[in-house]
Order: sequence, then structure tokens, then C-alpha cells
Amino acid sequence: MSLRVEQSLSQLLHEAFISLRTLGKRSILALLGIVIGSSSVVALINIGHNAAVDAAMIFKDMGTDTLVAQFPPKGNSPATMRASLDLEAVRQAVPGIAHIGALTLFSGPMVFHGRTANANFVGTTPDIKDAMRIVVREGRFLSAFDANETYGVIGDQLAQALGVPGDPVKLGDRVRINDYLFLVIGILHSQPRAILMPVQANESLFIPAEGMRRIYASPQIGNVIIRATPGQDMERIARDASAALQRQLTDHTVDIQVPQQMIDGMTRQSRTFAYLLLALGAISLVGGGVGVMNVMLMNVSERRREIGIRMALGARQRDIRNLFLLEAVTLTAVGAACGAVIGMTAAWLYAWMSGWAFALAAAALPLGVGSTLLVGLFFGIYPAVSASKLQPVEALRDE
Amino acid sequence: MMTDTPAHPGLISLQGIGKRYQLAGQELSILNDVCLSIAKGDSCGILGASGSGKSTLLNILGLLDLPNCGRYHFAGHDIFSASPDQLAAIRNQQIGFVFQSFNLLPRLSALDNVALPLSYRGVSRHESVEQALRMLEQVGLAERAHHRPADLSGGQRQRVAIARALVGKPSVILADEPTGNLDSTTAQEIMDLLLALNREQQVTLIIVTHDPHIAERLDRKILVRNGVVQEAGCL
Repeated sequence: MSLRVEQSLSQLLHEAFISLRTLGKRSILALLGIVIGSSSVVALINIGHNAAVDAAMIFKDMGTDTLVAQFPPKGNSPATMRASLDLEAVRQAVPGIAHIGALTLFSGPMVFHGRTANANFVGTTPDIKDAMRIVVREGRFLSAFDANETYGVIGDQLAQALGVPGDPVKLGDRVRINDYLFLVIGILHSQPRAILMPVQANESLFIPAEGMRRIYASPQIGNVIIRATPGQDMERIARDASAALQRQLTDHTVDIQVPQQMIDGMTRQSRTFAYLLLALGAISLVGGGVGVMNVMLMNVSERRREIGIRMALGARQRDIRNLFLLEAVTLTAVGAACGAVIGMTAAWLYAWMSGWAFALAAAALPLGVGSTLLVGLFFGIYPAVSASKLQPVEALRDE
Repeated sequence: MMTDTPAHPGLISLQGIGKRYQLAGQELSILNDVCLSIAKGDSCGILGASGSGKSTLLNILGLLDLPNCGRYHFAGHDIFSASPDQLAAIRNQQIGFVFQSFNLLPRLSALDNVALPLSYRGVSRHESVEQALRMLEQVGLAERAHHRPADLSGGQRQRVAIARALVGKPSVILADEPTGNLDSTTAQEIMDLLLALNREQQVTLIIVTHDPHIAERLDRKILVRNGVVQEAGCL
């Protein structure tokens, strides 16, 4: 007589199907607990991710990826700063620079149709648009072909100051600075105040750097703005850019401020978010897990008789253990699947109500579903093993 | 396949079997020095008053409970040296149980209940369903195969239970008051069925009962009184 036999796969699948079919009647409440546990994990991770993305965007707009270089003279040297720098050489020398542009600043009155307003005149190069996150509302920004033209791009606030209702500043209008007329080729969107920037785009007229001499006899570069590609070490870029710029200068030093405090704040807040979510997720998972264990233990004590019958019919300890483990896993799998859908919906609703952009956190689904399954397995093992350890005669005895 | 050459005479051989329970710190002796031998094809009734130990004897015979002392050989296997898995395999292949309260699984259809013992033997689902259906035909319930136990009458349930006990082609059927929950007509039918199986298929039949009419129809009558076993007619 052969004493070693395994249940065939088709029989195991049938058992799983039966337990799934009767799941509805027996363990709706258990399922509910697991669904809540799993959906809260999925929702929490995703909501947290969206909150972090939103917060990071706020910090990014404040300029954590932007460096501003200044050029104080060496000692008391009276030498004037150069009017142009080879920024392309700097870009070549320092990897990780996305955009770089120089600013030559001057301020004075500006006239349009007889109305005067004070403005910053910013002599610059086309790449400054992206370095300073300038958004054009109408027309276009300066291009490399505009170097010798008397073209200007006007800031939103300045345009409003110069225009009146019925006669606003439009594309193609000319504004006067001293004796020169500049053609307005672009009007900017209103920009949020940039704390770190030496000049506010809203109050400025951007003109080609080469044309600054028309307004001011000896233009000097005041600042260089560098914007890094995402995920760069800002300290390193500052160091390298400083060295690269210094090579072009004899009488001036390069002073680059890194927005370190802001970067620190950003890292701290995202770490806080991560810890908070970890704790919340863990708590709800343990809650869900205890729910699974409760249901499975109830299940075992409710079905002592069935265990006894199965043992009398020849089920071995491991068959009984597998039966209950299979049920626990089926239960958690169904719960995890429902939880994933509900959690995602909740996260989407939350994002929609808070006005955030909804972004799917890559970790949310695998982490939420995976950890639920793991918890189900972990908390399912004890009831399953305790069921298999019953003596057939004890299990069969009438309660 | 089912039987090796038995090392001991008879299918079932008990020698000096004793069973004690610890109850509230007190040692309670249920069975004392039970010696019993049952040959293949026998039909035995185990008779006794409530609390005499006859159910404990049946549990020990059916390998659901282990005795404290003595020697027990079942179809050549020494029960004391067998592992729990081996005991389960012997139950599965050699013993068919019929209970007073039927003990069908309420979640499963009659067909799945009958097919259940085969699933613990590595038989594929398809094959086990076929065999179960044949067995249900044999007890006259083929058209009820897909009913749940709750939708069947008491007699029908017991017939499903008998089909389940028989599906594995066991050498012994152990029945614990199989007609205890049935009316007299149905009880008669169930007994006829069990006895026919004993007669036609040489299945060893062991029935626990306190009904003398049932005992009358069996070859051997084993009396259990205060944990001691006597064979009626022999003594």
C-alpha cells in the first residue's frame, strides 16, 4: 500500500474554487476588513506621493535647482566687469547644467504713448528664458538671431503700467528708452516673485545683451543664472561652475550662492512624509492582518467538525493546513484586489478635491497588494497550523 | 495493492488495548485490556449502554484516536509505530466511516462529498467525479448528485455518506449508530444496503448500535460494558 500521496493540482484548484464561491456567505465582514486595510495602504501611499510631488513642485518653483552667480571685484580693484562671458564654455566644462544665461542690468524710465514707467532693462541671451522659468503669454522670446535688433520682451506688470484701458501695450508696439525705440515682440505671463533672482521678470524689459550699449555706455554682466538638470548635486555644480567662470575673469571673483536651506527643507519634508506614510500604512496593515487572523481562527473553530470529517476521510495534517492557508490567501487576494481598486479611486478623489495633479505612485500597487498578501499569509499560517494539529477525535466530537 | 500479507491473523487485531483520559486531574479509565480480532468479511455489532466506551472503541478501531497501551495491528500495519501521515493514508484507503449524524460537508454537493476521499489520494478531479457518480448510482441517488446535503432527506443523506465511505473501496466500514437519526423504514433500508455490501463485496462491517434488532442481523455481537469487551455467544 502506498502511503505517500499528494493532492493533485486539479483537486487543489477545485477546493480553492469552492472556498471562493462560498466566500460571499461566510466572510463578507472579513473581506471588508482586508479591503479597508489594503485600500488604505494603496490610498495612503498614493496620496502621500501626490502630496510630495505637489510640495516638491512648490519648492522647485522657488528655485531649488537654480544657482545665481555674482562677481564682486577682487580687493578694491576699480576694473569694470566684462560685458560678455563665454557661457558655452562653462556649459561644456560642467555636466548637469540645463540652462545658463547672463544678466546685464540697468534701470530707468521707459515711455509708451506719452506714458512713463520705471523699468529694469535686462540685457540677456535667449537661454535665460528657461534658466529663469519665464513664460511668454503673447509673441515670442528673444532668439539668437535678434542680437543686433532693437527688440524687447516686456514683463506683465510693466506692460500694465504703461498701457491704459483702450490702449494696452500690444505686440508690434514700440516703447522708447532714451532715444531708442524698441519693438515689443513678446509679452510675458505674470510670474510669481522669485526670491533668489536678482531681477523680477514682471517689472523688466528683456533686450538682447549686445544692444545694452544703446542704453548704457559701459554695460557689465551682473549675474549669471544657472539651472541644473533634475536630481543634480547643487554643491558640485556650484563648485565646478565657479571654477569654470573664474578662468574667464582676472579682476573679479565668482560668488555662487547655493539655496541650501531650501534644499534641506525639501529633503526634510519629504522624509517626514515618508515616515508618516510608513507608520500609517503599517498600522492599517496590521489591523487588516489581525482581521484576517480573527476570521481564520473563527473559521477554524466553526469548522472543527469539518476538519474532523476530512481527517477521518484521510486528510493529512498538511492537507488541512493547506486548505486553510489556501482560503486565507484566497480571501486576502480578493481583498487586496478590491482594496487596490478602491484605494486608487480614493487617492484619485482626494487628489481631485485638493486640486493636485493625480500621479500614480509606482510603489503603491505592488506595495499595497504585496504587503496585504504577505500579511494574509503571515496571519493565516497560525490558524492553519492550529487547525492541522487537531486530533481527529477531538475535532469530530460534538460541541 | 490494498493489502500486504498480514503479519497477524485477521484484518484487525487488538491485544491488551487500554484507553485512559485525564479529566479534572482524575484518571478516567475508558477501556481496559481489550482483546479483539476481526477477520475480513466479518459483520460485527458493537453493543453497549451510553458511556460504556463503545464509541471510544470505534474511534480506536478507526484510527481517529490512539490507545494508551496494548498492541494494534490493522491490515498488517503496527498502529503504534505509524506516523500521523501514515495513519491518515490507512484511514483513506482502508476505512470507510458512516456516522450517526451523517457528517456531510454542508458546503459541498452530494457528488463533491462523495468524491472528497479520493482527492486525498492524488486522484485527479475528473476521475474522482466519475467514480463518485458511479457510487451515487449504486446507492440510488444519481439524480440528486448536485444537491447540497441540506436539500436531502435524512435517509438520502445517510446514503450519500455510505457512498462516500465506499468510494475508496475500503476493506472495513465503521458505522457509528448509522440508523440512529432515521425513522424505522429508512433505517431498515440503510441496514439492507450495508448488509448487502457486506455480503456481495466482502466489505468488513463494524456497526456500533444499541438497537438489538440491528445487532440480530449481524454475525458477531461484541458487548462493551464498563470498558470491558465480551463477545456474545462466545462466552
